[in-house]
Amino acid sequence: MTASGGGRGDGGRPVRVVIAEDAALFREGLARLITDRGHQVAAAVGDADALLAAVAEHHPDVAVADVRMPPTHTDEGLRAAIELRRDHPGTGVLVLSQYIETRYAARLLEGNAAGVGYLLKDRVADVAEFADALARVAAGGTALDPEVVSQLVRASRHADGIAALTPREREVLALMAEGRSNAGIAAALVVTGGVVEKHVASIFGKLGLPPSEADNRRVLAVLRYLGS
Amino acid sequence: MGAFGPVNQGAADEPPGSAPGGRAAPPTALAPPKAPAALTAAGAALRAPFTARAGRELLFCLAEAALGLVVLAAPFALAGLGLVVGLLAGRRPAGPGSPGQPVVFVPAVAVLLVILALLAIALPRTGRRLGAAHRRLAARLLGPAIGAPAPPRPGRGLAGRLGAVLRDGPGWRAAAYLLLQLPVMVAEIYAVFFAAVGLANLSYPFWWPLFRNHAPGTVLQPVPVLTPFGSFGVATLAGTAAAFAAGAAMLLAAPWVARGAAAADCWLMHRMLGPPRLAQRVADLEQSRALAVQDSAALLRRLERDLHDGAQIRLATLAMNLGMAREKLGADTDPQVRELVDAAHQGAKDALVELRSLARGIHPPALDNGLADALATLAAGGAPPVDLSVHLPERPAPEIETIAYFCAAELLANAAKHSRANRVAVDLRFTDGALELRVSDDGAGGADAARGSGLAGLRQRARTVDGRVEIVSPPGGPTRVTVTLPMHA
Repeated sequence: MTASGGGRGDGGRPVRVVIAEDAALFREGLARLITDRGHQVAAAVGDADALLAAVAEHHPDVAVADVRMPPTHTDEGLRAAIELRRDHPGTGVLVLSQYIETRYAARLLEGNAAGVGYLLKDRVADVAEFADALARVAAGGTALDPEVVSQLVRASRHADGIAALTPREREVLALMAEGRSNAGIAAALVVTGGVVEKHVASIFGKLGLPPSEADNRRVLAVLRYLGS
Repeated sequence: MGAFGPVNQGAADEPPGSAPGGRAAPPTALAPPKAPAALTAAGAALRAPFTARAGRELLFCLAEAALGLVVLAAPFALAGLGLVVGLLAGRRPAGPGSPGQPVVFVPAVAVLLVILALLAIALPRTGRRLGAAHRRLAARLLGPAIGAPAPPRPGRGLAGRLGAVLRDGPGWRAAAYLLLQLPVMVAEIYAVFFAAVGLANLSYPFWWPLFRNHAPGTVLQPVPVLTPFGSFGVATLAGTAAAFAAGAAMLLAAPWVARGAAAADCWLMHRMLGPPRLAQRVADLEQSRALAVQDSAALLRRLERDLHDGAQIRLATLAMNLGMAREKLGADTDPQVRELVDAAHQGAKDALVELRSLARGIHPPALDNGLADALATLAAGGAPPVDLSVHLPERPAPEIETIAYFCAAELLANAAKHSRANRVAVDLRFTDGALELRVSDDGAGGADAARGSGLAGLRQRARTVDGRVEIVSPPGGPTRVTVTLPMHA
């Protein structure tokens, strides 16, 4: 966990990152945080066009993009992220925003939860969690903000199905939807991996979902269930 | 014409020569500062006929006189037409063997009545058209435009259209203007007469010598000289000097007559051709209200953007730095220091959350992408599940989107708080040129704007743009609230 650790990422290997954020203060802080965790910042740019160019040039493991960037300050970061997902499937995309818009999350995921993340900017304050999310996205996993998940759960039409779960199982469901692996869930809830596996099996049974091994397919199944 | 010098620049009060609004040369203009007042006034009077403004006023008088003559000619033309038609109608029954006299009389009266009726129908619309021509003329030549009256109200069906024509107030006022303008027109003809005949009189001495070479013993007829006070004959070269003097006097008087006539005509136009004062006031108020609503929406949007780019980003960076500092605290750190850093970290994160909900209340950022996105996020945040359907072929004005959004937010919050509903439906569509937001739930009903609960505020909000709120909420439910808003403020 130290800066001198040199090349030791949280996912075990260093990750190459391109940052796009128009506020210089936050951009520099983010770059520092990422290098601090032993990763490498290939480029840090201020708008969406520069992001697309930087990704084409550096082929990073993950691109971190702010949603609102010049020139219109609406959703150019999101649109660039969607473009990156289409044109550079090898690059994970982690979108940061000061607001959570469910519609944005839906556009970003669009049937494929691999290598994608959507987090509130606040989450960067919890350095270890953010680094974990970054590594997950870089490795082809998913990182959805807890707020997106709680909104999905609240608005879900499967209130009956969710009500059938125990409180613990609901926690596990939310963590699964955020894109965490069994190990990650176990660490978050301070339980063993075996306990988590049992919860997961129970949840899938109660909700009538087909069990799935790969984390990102599991995320998609859970999100589909909540959103349908 | 020595008076063309800059003797009186800027000194005379408002000679017809000076441009309106005192566009005269700056006072520094070379004027011998102590020129006697009488001299400056005389200079202004002498220059008056040769200024652009005098020219425009004269042109206005000429054009107005021409338009007035058209109106004057119309009754004669109609009377002539009536006569012809009457005669044609009267001749047929007056065939051989029938006593013509009483038979001619009846159709003539009928024709007269028909002509009067047609006149009554034609007058308001004709008045509007000619009035518009007058207004355009005044705007083109004399400056500030006179506002157009409200457009005629369309009617449905033959009777409706007839009624609309007959009740067309501005049309009748315009027709009355055409009549009242006739005396003013006489003054305007006078102004033109002063200028044209004055110019002609001025020329007498110049062409007089051309007629000198007549045979000896020929007695010359005196040449008539026209003046406003009658005419006199000129038979000698010395007499032409009198004609010249009369011409000069008329030319100098012409701009003043033109100005007086034009002013009278403009006054009449303002009274008769412009919108009625109350209607004008309503139009002005509507416009200023729309501006105020747009302004406040734009202001809130800017405020949110400033928060987003300023305080929020600084706070996020602060929280991030505190997070990093916290990670770097070693195991041997003073527990008090750790506690303080933890508290600061948590405080920054809490402040971020608070600031975010504050900014969202000022202007939801998703609105920048349209109501569909913003309502989707809003619907996702509510307790009862929301069926959202948005069908908008075009985006309403930003201020309308903001009002619609906050109405939807209020109604969803109401449904969640008071109705104990299981389902809420939000429907946004474009109906009859207006935006219609319908929020219905299957809850307990009994919502009443009179008993507070935010519905009164909703009505207030909609009313700022002439929107309507319709609440149907019988006890026991279901509740359906429909908000209708224009597409623009």
